[in-house]
Amino acid sequence: MSRITRRTLLAATGAAAITPIAHAQAVKPRLTAISQWSAGSDGAAITALGKKFEEKGGTWQHSPVPGFTTEMMNKLRAQIMAGDPPACSQLKGPEITAWSKIAPTLNLDAIVAAAGYEKVVAPDLARLHKPGGKWAALPLQIYSTNMLFLSKRAMDKAKADKIPVTWADFNALAEKMKAGGVTYPIANGGTRPDDGQKFEAALAGISPAAYRAACMNLDEKALKGPEMKAAFAQVRKIADWMDPNTAAQHYSTFLSRFVAGDMGIMIQGGWAQGVLLNAGFKLDDFIIAPGPSDNGKPVFLLNADAFIFWQRKEADLQAGQKLMAELVMDPAIQTMYSQITGSIPVRTDVDLSGPGWSDGQRRTASALKEAVAANQAVLSLAHNMAQENGMTAAMIDVITEYVKNRSITPDQAVTRLAEAVEGAR
Amino acid sequence: MSHAAPSPARPLFAGLKRLPEFLVIWVPLLLSAGHVVVFTAWTTWISFTPSTLVPVDGWVGWRNYTNVLATRNWKIAFDNLLIFGAGFVILTALVGLLLAIIIDQRIRGENVLRSIFLYPMAVSFVVTGTVWSWLLNPGMGIQKLVNDWGWTSFRFDWLIDRDMAIWTIVIAGIWQSSGFAMALFLAGLRSVEADLIKAAQIDGAGPVRIYTRVILPTLWPIVIAVMVILLQFAIKTFDLVRALTGGGPGLATQLPALVVYDFMFQRGHLGRGSAAAVLMLLTLLGVLLPYGAWKYYQRRRDARA
Repeated sequence: MSRITRRTLLAATGAAAITPIAHAQAVKPRLTAISQWSAGSDGAAITALGKKFEEKGGTWQHSPVPGFTTEMMNKLRAQIMAGDPPACSQLKGPEITAWSKIAPTLNLDAIVAAAGYEKVVAPDLARLHKPGGKWAALPLQIYSTNMLFLSKRAMDKAKADKIPVTWADFNALAEKMKAGGVTYPIANGGTRPDDGQKFEAALAGISPAAYRAACMNLDEKALKGPEMKAAFAQVRKIADWMDPNTAAQHYSTFLSRFVAGDMGIMIQGGWAQGVLLNAGFKLDDFIIAPGPSDNGKPVFLLNADAFIFWQRKEADLQAGQKLMAELVMDPAIQTMYSQITGSIPVRTDVDLSGPGWSDGQRRTASALKEAVAANQAVLSLAHNMAQENGMTAAMIDVITEYVKNRSITPDQAVTRLAEAVEGAR
Repeated sequence: MSHAAPSPARPLFAGLKRLPEFLVIWVPLLLSAGHVVVFTAWTTWISFTPSTLVPVDGWVGWRNYTNVLATRNWKIAFDNLLIFGAGFVILTALVGLLLAIIIDQRIRGENVLRSIFLYPMAVSFVVTGTVWSWLLNPGMGIQKLVNDWGWTSFRFDWLIDRDMAIWTIVIAGIWQSSGFAMALFLAGLRSVEADLIKAAQIDGAGPVRIYTRVILPTLWPIVIAVMVILLQFAIKTFDLVRALTGGGPGLATQLPALVVYDFMFQRGHLGRGSAAAVLMLLTLLGVLLPYGAWKYYQRRRDARA
């Protein structure tokens, strides 16, 4: 593939000749970026980032593609095939490695080393952003997808004040809520990631080791193991506590019922905090705690948003990429960003004790620390961190059918999931 | 122009005069035909390659096809297509015919009613799907309304019922398309020769008999045309389902077009998605080729008569 032709030699000489000039001239940095963040707290956060970019003298050209990440990928694919990739785009998880194979990415090693970023990023996370051992993407913020959001009013109805630690505690609390007049103890949307999140929270809470083997490593034995069956059984309990009328609605449709105590518990990522605050609700309306874990130590289902940088020849775009990379790694920027969206910073050295951070975010950050120490920080399946999209979708197919169909037994679900994995390999 | 032959000036001039005609008719026609043919060929080619995120060269034979055909999604989608296709086409045609017959009675406010019935056609399927997803949602739509009126045992929860969910798409589809069927039928009804009807009246036939024995039989060609147009609507239905049920509950309302989109743009499997698209095209051909043959046979027969 990498045959040296006269043309590439010429181009290389040309580039070598031009580069010093480009550096000498002070070009105005410009950044073309695409992401899925168009509205709400996500939109507000990236707009704020754009403002900072402009304050540093850059031109910010962000084209959001609303919807799931896959929708944004369609635009990215079209741009890459047209030979005009954005200077920078959102991308995350194993997709970074997959996509870096279809178009050349920037080597960020020097910039990352200069900022000393590698020392402050969790190693498991860093690995995802270094396809072939070289930094091509930079993580920006972290969520755990299995956080518990407890409605204060529903807790009052249940006369409960203890945050559940294990799944047994969780089930007891849901029962109490039901008895106390909370119509639906679990608040949930009806989209596929919603259903996937319930399953991953159940399995990782029951056994992080089984989760790692089954969902991250796709180990055949683990996929048929007893923990899988237990997880599906727990999902059935959760499904029975949900409002059956959600159909395909987004979870955010039900936030007001959740806050009012008509629904009790959400199993969501930290982004729900940003969405709740953006919808006008207060931090006092709900409690955020780490997801249930049967061994008592927090389990962290890692979901990290990142920016990947695509190779561009234009001097202004190159300058823009450098500026963007520096901004993304900047602790002040990560603080600003996370305080808007409800995530926690990627940098492990950011202090979350100050104002502007919620108790939920502090709990999330300490949960991450403890989970990493206990080797219980795992990658989220439902949010495309554990597997590439094709495998994830095949697995979620089984999970979402199971959630919506009471006649499927946990045993059948285990078999179907194992088959789906085989079929998608 | 390269075809300027060394002939007398007259034909050349005539040719030039007709040039705008050629440009207006042939260029768009060739472009659109080329568009269809080239992209169909390209999709078919991709369906035999190991393409994933972007198209790549290579040959994997029928692997993408066997893979798609083995998935649960495709099986469910194809079964749904049979239910949806039959339900949507037959019921829409019936409702359209009924509306057309009612409007044909020279009623007052005909123009207003016709516009009202045709109006849903002007709304995109996404809007139809979204609105009906609210109307049909038991927690906030029709069921809640009736329950709040006092009929608390009323149940209309097809949207969240796995077995009935596909019929919610049929309902929304009928709402959207029956006006279109009505317009075609009405045109047909109006084009029945008045002499025929007069003759039937003189023979003493009542209005029902006139419809069943005189007018409707002359409508056959229109019925077939409406059916074929509706059927190809049904086969390529995508946005309606996506907005209304999102393919759920679970996978209960998957349709082939959703599976194609899912493979291509959600799962990063261009090869398998293309294979599913080609399978869809074959289904469409299964409808259109017999129709074309039938038309051809008819024309031959008419020409001979």
